[in-house]
Amino acid sequence: MEISNLGASELVSHLSAGHLTAVDCIQYFLQRIEQTNQSLNAFVNISDTALQRAREIDARRASGKPVGPLAGLPIAVKDGICTSGLKTTAGSKMLEQFVPPYDATIVRRLIDADGIVIGKTNMDEFAMGSSTEHSHFGAVKNPWSLDRVPGGSSGGSAACVAADMSPVAIGSDTGGSIRQPASFCGITGLKPTYGRVSRYGLIAFASSLDQIGPMTRTAKDSALILSVIAGHDVKDSTSAKNDVPDFTRSLEKPLTGVRIGICREHFDEGLDPEVESCVREATKVLESLGAATCEIHLPHTPYAVATYYVVAPCEASSNLARYDGVRYTYRAAATDLEQMYCQTRAAGFGDEVKQRIMLGTYALSSGYYDAFYLKASRVRRMIKHDYDQAFGEVDLILGPTSPTTAFSIGEHSHNPLAMYLADIYTVSANLAGVPAISIPAGISASGLPIGLQLQARSFDEGALLQAAHQFQSVTGWHATKPPLYQGPQT
Amino acid sequence: MSEFIDRAVVEQVARLARIHLSEQQLDASSKQLGEILNYVGQLERVTLPDDVEPFFGAIESVNAIRADEVNSSVDRDSILSNAPDSDGEFYSVPPVF
Repeated sequence: MEISNLGASELVSHLSAGHLTAVDCIQYFLQRIEQTNQSLNAFVNISDTALQRAREIDARRASGKPVGPLAGLPIAVKDGICTSGLKTTAGSKMLEQFVPPYDATIVRRLIDADGIVIGKTNMDEFAMGSSTEHSHFGAVKNPWSLDRVPGGSSGGSAACVAADMSPVAIGSDTGGSIRQPASFCGITGLKPTYGRVSRYGLIAFASSLDQIGPMTRTAKDSALILSVIAGHDVKDSTSAKNDVPDFTRSLEKPLTGVRIGICREHFDEGLDPEVESCVREATKVLESLGAATCEIHLPHTPYAVATYYVVAPCEASSNLARYDGVRYTYRAAATDLEQMYCQTRAAGFGDEVKQRIMLGTYALSSGYYDAFYLKASRVRRMIKHDYDQAFGEVDLILGPTSPTTAFSIGEHSHNPLAMYLADIYTVSANLAGVPAISIPAGISASGLPIGLQLQARSFDEGALLQAAHQFQSVTGWHATKPPLYQGPQT
Repeated sequence: MSEFIDRAVVEQVARLARIHLSEQQLDASSKQLGEILNYVGQLERVTLPDDVEPFFGAIESVNAIRADEVNSSVDRDSILSNAPDSDGEFYSVPPVF
């Protein structure tokens, strides 16, 4: 069987029907990782128990005992999400030796569903970045072009799915960290509604913005994974008690009557014309499927990046205070306590992380709080209000995921602000808490993927997945693979 | 607004953040922080009606309360196994003074 052409849903069907064993499936992907990881650097750690788990699942199935809905499915997990007994570094020297004593709730749910964690994926340190260049373990390369970034911060997760090293990866998204790398690597990436998925065991970056979600080939595969990981968790008091539907059930519903708003502010200055024309084409496809489109406004969009780069660093400066040399593996040599704090944080954090902690500390410090954090939080209210207004008129909001295709490695390394602007269309969803998805919508003349972003009302991931699935039923972009990684040569 | 933040301010922020920065890093930080603060400074120019309340989190729920029950948690040994230094019962740190 040609495993490389199968997505997560198909793999699960074949595993369940007995066409494929979990051992064969895991062995195939472990071999792909071995062949490919050296050039991409997508994984920082490979599980040494995955094969054993596969054997157990095969044995259980063979003996007629019940197995979970993901039985035998390999899953890559971003290295900012805790896996019991498996090193979890968040891409940082600070946590280079950290072995969590517990599983994140989503990891537990995936394992309980008999999914198999195959390894941990590389990321920007503490998820701070849009390129996965800021990892202590080196930059991740884009499978479509090795001199390009895969996007970030879930760049390892995006690259591993695009390069057929895992059918599913889990990412986290604070300002676009699932969607922008999905866009740059030509895969599907979903940021659920804030509160939809438990954050317990996610190494915190900005707690009011962070959300975990699936990164897969197709919307159908994302629906499968979201159905498993979503839902209230007593260990995360911000997780929502809303019912979790089976998201795979509503995919086939036609788009007739669905109203899609084209956000005017997402087509302003700075948008690559090739990306724009691709998104316009995708709009026509959705119209041909029965959706009605109209122009809408999110008037505070121009302030979203500035708002985000106050709120997120403020929360980060507080969250990262715990890395002080006392509890989490790394400690720099020092003769007194104060020196231990300062030297540990100086040597354990990379430059971008230090920069954001400094920014947040400044913005929260006495005399600046009102001008920065309070003002940004008030603008954030207006950004949310824009969405409330828009969703009174439309069901979905459409636009590009990122203003450009994948940029070159090193292109923004001396200009953090230019890098921050790569998040211009994605940060608003985090600030407002609404769900959003990026799906492949085309390939540029230079051979790089282009992503389309859809956003929906809070807790209406079903509408996102339905529209994305309908789009993928009549287009082939999600099935187009990077020329370098089209699977094993025959 | 200036593109540079005063060196003394950067030093004070680094002290508050408990991050030791070299002279060179202080200079670099003064420039980079200045640029970013200059960019986010556009928020000052957004005029908002007085009654716009801050929005601090995407879920504005009331306190989440659960039953006060004793549950098993992660045991001390596995937690201390990640400590840079411990006596098997407590974290150990260098002298405070």
